[in-house]
Amino acid sequence: MDDIIRFFEGMGFMQITWGQGIMLILSFFLLYLAIVKKYEPLLLLPIAFGMLLTNLPAAGMYHAELWTAFLDESSPMYHSYGAILKEAGLLDIMYMGVKMGLYPCLIFMGVGAMTDFGPLIANPKSLLLGAAAQLGIFLTFICANALGFTPAEAGSIGIIGGADGPTSIFLTSKLAPHLLGPIAIAAYSYMALVPVIQPPIMKALTTKSERAIKMKQLRPVSKTEKIVFPIAITAIVALILPDAAPLVGCLMLGNLAKECCVIDRLSDTMQNSLMNIVVIFLGLSVGATATAESFLNVKTILILCMGIVAFGCGTAGGVLLAKLMNLFSKEKINPLIGSAGVSAVPMAARVSQQVGQEENPSNFLLMHAMGPNVAGVIGSAVAAGILLSMLG
Amino acid sequence: MTVLPLVVDWGQTWLVTGVGFGMVFVLLVVLIFILKLLGVVMNSSTGKPAKKAEAPKAAAAPAAAPKASASEDDDLAAVAMALHLYFNGVHDEEPTEITLRNIERRYSPWNDKAYGMNNLHR
Repeated sequence: MDDIIRFFEGMGFMQITWGQGIMLILSFFLLYLAIVKKYEPLLLLPIAFGMLLTNLPAAGMYHAELWTAFLDESSPMYHSYGAILKEAGLLDIMYMGVKMGLYPCLIFMGVGAMTDFGPLIANPKSLLLGAAAQLGIFLTFICANALGFTPAEAGSIGIIGGADGPTSIFLTSKLAPHLLGPIAIAAYSYMALVPVIQPPIMKALTTKSERAIKMKQLRPVSKTEKIVFPIAITAIVALILPDAAPLVGCLMLGNLAKECCVIDRLSDTMQNSLMNIVVIFLGLSVGATATAESFLNVKTILILCMGIVAFGCGTAGGVLLAKLMNLFSKEKINPLIGSAGVSAVPMAARVSQQVGQEENPSNFLLMHAMGPNVAGVIGSAVAAGILLSMLG
Repeated sequence: MTVLPLVVDWGQTWLVTGVGFGMVFVLLVVLIFILKLLGVVMNSSTGKPAKKAEAPKAAAAPAAAPKASASEDDDLAAVAMALHLYFNGVHDEEPTEITLRNIERRYSPWNDKAYGMNNLHR
């Protein structure tokens, strides 16, 4: 009889708390968004499933308390991966890749191998739009500070405005690991909502005639330029800002592998197999950090609210700078391509194309918008490096 | 519920914002100059002198020019059409399921093999 009672007492149903119940329902909702609504399903699905696994009572797959001890200087587990491994569950082991900053860099390698920097090389001024779109990061940093977050937490929240999932995870894992769950979920959810968030802001800040501006065709870019580009960018960015070297270096390594055409097998692995494996590990381990204790609080709601502010300000920054550039340059640029500076490759560029075509169906802005779009990837990695060096 | 502390170091906040945003711009402006320089170097070492040399030839044979621009226009029209079709989702999505529907037939002696015509010949 005692054995039967013990068996029933050991069941998850008997141990579940209210918080865990709410988190399980939230994970079901995110799974619904990923599967039915197709909101960034490649990452949202593993994140939601990681959230489901971590909130199952008594499953012991992730131990938040181990990672708190890992950061506590007075604990014997302080910065000891060996000590963590002794008591770790499956998701704790996967989470080590996030903690060490490994997964975001590997994902950047794959992103680099899939990205064509040709439009950026053909029109270097696009880099200015990529820089202006980082306005969201820094305005949100101020807002987060005003709301009482610590500077390190505020920097991690601000980076949501970079609209770059791996960069957000990389910076948050270094500056505010306890906020990793809400920040990653906010970043990926809003990235999926770029076609909803951006168009009203773009339309509000531009006139009809500005939206209809046709841009000159981009010049062709030689193979040699495309090969020299990643090498030059890595060297310059890493020499000026060493903290940005892991992200920018991996991004450019992937791009060099694609452009040089002598390591096609490696380039193919970076784009497909490696990327897919890392996405599974990253998604599950980030989802695992969304425990009831860390997720169900006021901070999460504030982070979700500020995330949308960050996206909006970034979009506005890019569009406004494009308008400003039009005042001084002979060749007019369509301000709609400025909004693509918020990273989110290639969705933000597609949004520029679609909004532009609503005004003028014969206008094709896609390739022009890809310049600021890939500039935004470099810009957000640089911004992350700066925040890491100043707040880390 | 977590209570948020309300002590803000505004000096540091403005410093990080100003220096951080400024640094992003400075670094990317440096990259713009380098990319422009790269373009100039590449064009001077490969493409431009050859193009300049070809220019008088093109002027001497104006009949060839309209042909090239016409084919370019055709290319542009084809690309524009493809993009238009893609973004407007003209191509309908087909269900990728290939199934044979199972038809349920009730028994009837009219089509029973046991009573078929062949039996009569035996």
